Amino acid sequence: MMKITVNDKILEVSGELTLLEELRNAGYDVPSLCYANKARHQASCMVCMVRNVANDQMLPSCSTYPTEGMHIDTESDDVRNMRRMSLELLLSDHRADCEAPCVVVCPAKIDVARLILYYDRGQMDKAKSVLREAVASEQLPCQDCKASCEKACRRGTVDTRVSVREIIAEVAKHKDSTDNVAPVSTKSTHTFSSKLGRYSEAEKEWLKEVYNQPSRCLHCACEGKDKCKLREYASQTGIKSLRYGVSSRQVVKEQQHVCGRLYFEPAKCVRCGLCVYNSQDGFTFQHRGFDMQVIIPEESKSHASEHLAELCPTGALFLREE
Amino acid sequence: MKDMNGCNCDCASNGLEAMVRRTDAIIDRTGTTRDKLIPLLQAIQQEFNYLPSDALNRLYERTEIDRSQLISVSTFYSQFRLVPYGKHIIKVCIGTACHVKGANTVYDAFKRELGLGDDSITTADQQYSIERVACLGCCALAPVVQIDNKIFGHVQPGRVRDVLDEFESLTASQASEEAKEQSHEVQGEVRLGMENCCQASGTAEVHAAVVQACSDLGIHIRIKPISCVGACNQVPLIDVATPDGNIVRYPNIKPDEVKEILLHHFRPASRLRRLRNAILNHIDTFHTDQTWDNILFTPEKERTQSINTFLDGQHRISTEGFGHLNPLDIDEYISLGGFEALRKALTAMNRQQIIDEVLKSGLRGRGGGGFPTGRKWQMVSQASGTAKYVICNGDEGDPGAFMDRILLESYPLRVIEGMIIAGYAVGATEGIFYIRAEYPQAVIRIRKALDMCRQKQLLGQNILGTDFSFNIRVFEGAGAFVCGEETALIASIEGKRGFPHLRPPYPAQSGLFGKPTLINNVETLSQISYIVRHGADEYAKVGTEGSRGTKVFALAGKVNHGGLIEVPMGTTLRQIVEKIGGGVEGGEALKAVQTGGPSGGCIPAELCDAEVDFDALNKMGAIMGSGGLVVLSESSCMVDVARYFLNFTCEESCGKCTFCRVGIRRMLDILDRLSTGQAKMEDIDRLEELALSIKRSALCGLGKTAPNPVLSTLRYFRHEYEEHVQGICRTGSCKQMVKFQITDDCVGCTKCARSCPSEAIAYTPYEKHVIDASRCTQCGLCIDECDYHAIKKVKK
Repeated sequence: MMKITVNDKILEVSGELTLLEELRNAGYDVPSLCYANKARHQASCMVCMVRNVANDQMLPSCSTYPTEGMHIDTESDDVRNMRRMSLELLLSDHRADCEAPCVVVCPAKIDVARLILYYDRGQMDKAKSVLREAVASEQLPCQDCKASCEKACRRGTVDTRVSVREIIAEVAKHKDSTDNVAPVSTKSTHTFSSKLGRYSEAEKEWLKEVYNQPSRCLHCACEGKDKCKLREYASQTGIKSLRYGVSSRQVVKEQQHVCGRLYFEPAKCVRCGLCVYNSQDGFTFQHRGFDMQVIIPEESKSHASEHLAELCPTGALFLREE
Repeated sequence: MKDMNGCNCDCASNGLEAMVRRTDAIIDRTGTTRDKLIPLLQAIQQEFNYLPSDALNRLYERTEIDRSQLISVSTFYSQFRLVPYGKHIIKVCIGTACHVKGANTVYDAFKRELGLGDDSITTADQQYSIERVACLGCCALAPVVQIDNKIFGHVQPGRVRDVLDEFESLTASQASEEAKEQSHEVQGEVRLGMENCCQASGTAEVHAAVVQACSDLGIHIRIKPISCVGACNQVPLIDVATPDGNIVRYPNIKPDEVKEILLHHFRPASRLRRLRNAILNHIDTFHTDQTWDNILFTPEKERTQSINTFLDGQHRISTEGFGHLNPLDIDEYISLGGFEALRKALTAMNRQQIIDEVLKSGLRGRGGGGFPTGRKWQMVSQASGTAKYVICNGDEGDPGAFMDRILLESYPLRVIEGMIIAGYAVGATEGIFYIRAEYPQAVIRIRKALDMCRQKQLLGQNILGTDFSFNIRVFEGAGAFVCGEETALIASIEGKRGFPHLRPPYPAQSGLFGKPTLINNVETLSQISYIVRHGADEYAKVGTEGSRGTKVFALAGKVNHGGLIEVPMGTTLRQIVEKIGGGVEGGEALKAVQTGGPSGGCIPAELCDAEVDFDALNKMGAIMGSGGLVVLSESSCMVDVARYFLNFTCEESCGKCTFCRVGIRRMLDILDRLSTGQAKMEDIDRLEELALSIKRSALCGLGKTAPNPVLSTLRYFRHEYEEHVQGICRTGSCKQMVKFQITDDCVGCTKCARSCPSEAIAYTPYEKHVIDASRCTQCGLCIDECDYHAIKKVKK
């Protein structure tokens, strides 16, 4: 056993565990993205950092082992600001919408994004149940609405907006079913919501080509938002707007099927490498520096497994709802 | 009989079979384990000029290497190419010295000349591919361009056609030489400094003169390009090697002297020629001094004038034997006291005594950090385990630095000796030279030197008859600056991406393959033999209190006499620039000296009287680094310099941690805005905040020191940043903020119009010329050409 000082308190630690594990065991709340319990990992995100009081350097607690007499600071404004900065930097390279704008603005609180998702898949029963969640009566609120959903529609920045109200009306005509009911929509309590920003001309062309389902919806809502730690911490930290803007080399809205229900959207990846270190000949890094990406070659997709979605700290790896 | 008749065969499948066969041969001789990935890829690329997918598929089939590892590694290192390149590769050096002398316009000029669009790098006829490279280590000749293995110094944007022509004629003459070699017995060799520093403007003419003279005289000799020994300002320079093994060196040679020199050494074919030879031989006696050895700087006075001031104030430990030692003559090295230290260490000292001696000497690591070498040795020596490694870090990646290259090329035996002593002292069994991909000559020389040592029983089993056995192998880096960081370097040898990991554990405890590993820089090891031979006290007499001994610097940038220098610690920067370097080029005022490359900082002229040692430089916000000194004059823009280094570290960042991967990118965004006049005042504060945060939070040394160039320029030249916000770049370096304008001083001589490579100036004799801003690429050729100083850079 050895003694370390955490803020002003003495903590007895074994020396076997990392600082992060020791701190969490002792009840300290330390955020982390690139660390997952019992999984192979390497320090990358720096969200878990603590200050080494001796030399004023920041240490990633997930990979630092305590040493006798060590004095660390886990909660000063300095540490909070640095953690905040690392989140802001990650978010500046994160081109994604947490929520679909149509849902955010809908005065009737219809989960339009999921409704259209089922609509595009031809699962009209489920689409109808999503509508029922918000609208109990047969009378649709859309008729008198100023259609803020359509005004906010992302597709409108590509070419023309999705005719959201027409789709809702079509879904409304479908008869109710009790067999194929969609799970109840979860409402996020997070104050932070990532915004995608603008598309380049090339991206617009690409999006037009790829997103050509009946609705033409871009399905911009994040499918992994419920488990996203990046959003959780950003909300906790009180980040509202991004000081460093958003610019990324990642292709926006490019979703790849990996295996089973597992999907991968690189634009949301924070390059923590958890999926790389925890799959054998599966996910891998490509290039370096700011251009570094996580990819999975076609031939390696069979080596991945669905549990990687749990490890992924963002919505980059997610399980698609059946 | 398909195989016999080339044309009728199924070419595609035959090609595949051949490729598989050739790949198999590479696998057989290299190995199949995961740590062999980098050597395997290097061999495949050497064989096929790129990494063909069929060859890679063969790797998956026959080795432990899987797709994930291969993609990860092959895309990490800049050396590897997944698409075929042209026949010849043009590498435009964008190292610091080249940058401040306009390397980017040279790059643009080549692209224009070869008709390459923005996105293409290979010509349609597959003859040339072009790329930028971090640093070719020939900083004294900036701007430098390398085409295949030929280096061209002082390349001007308007002369790129000449460079290409010269290259093509050299290639042609080389082909005919090879043909000649086959038909005649070779009498000897003329070696020209064509490889690195020695190749300056003029060497090609000397080369042509040698070819011509050989043909005129009927002499059959091999004309071999070699690297220089560090006297970068004494070129062109040739070595003449006769069949009896003697070598004579002629510095500052002119093309018309070549014939006489050749006649002096070789028998012409005919009797008449022999008679002429006899006469000229007599004359030649006065031409060169007669030491049958490497002579340098001793002949004619005019050749040595500037050398004397260059040599003043230097002190040689690492570069002992400068100018006369033959890099690969082991007997000569031994006769000058070489390997005495090794003998003394192995026979008269025990391990701890050696470590104590190194500790007492006060030697600090020359790779940049300045960690006491003796303490590192002690740590490795005390680490448990029988298998230990010693790695010589020769991954000199700093743009603007070439000390390690020259030490490896010119004093390979001294570095090896230091490494064997280190191996003995810490109890290691194997040593590895990690040498940068861009230094092929260093790799060749070290390999040869290692062979020689093995033959002399200085390496291998039972060295010098003692019970100490030690082997050394060479590992070639694959092009990643971050691999100079010791944990990343280890990952690279293990066949992984060059990702650094958090220390502790230090390599001294758990390094290569998890074993205790000593990693020392080339220069550090080159000082060991002196310390052991002469004793720590003698060594410690040189230098300052906190920094003992000497330091080798690569002096480059806007200085008259660039080159490799070795000075005692404590020499002032001003002494180096003014006395050794002969002052700032073009008589301009000294503005700052950049030390330590991308991890270092800019020291303003007013602080250049401070003594140079580890601690003094740190205090000034710079670092010693590996020893690149780039002189900046009043015409250098400090924002541009900072942006240049950030751009470098951004490209070289490994990408592992957030602060380095994204943070540096965001700093660069701000610097981009500053250099295009789009920044706001608060951007400067934001830049500083980011810089300070990255310095504290990045995972490894590369990231932690990357903001230094910005922080030091902000500290000493903040006003320049503020001026850039206002849209002013006084030096005109930030192209988007200035335009070229012809003033009323123009007499209409048309010189500028004729020199302009992009036809931006109309040919209007006797009228004031006008520059078409839409065509002007701001290469600066017109300014150089104009005799009336009538072209100015003005604010846009």
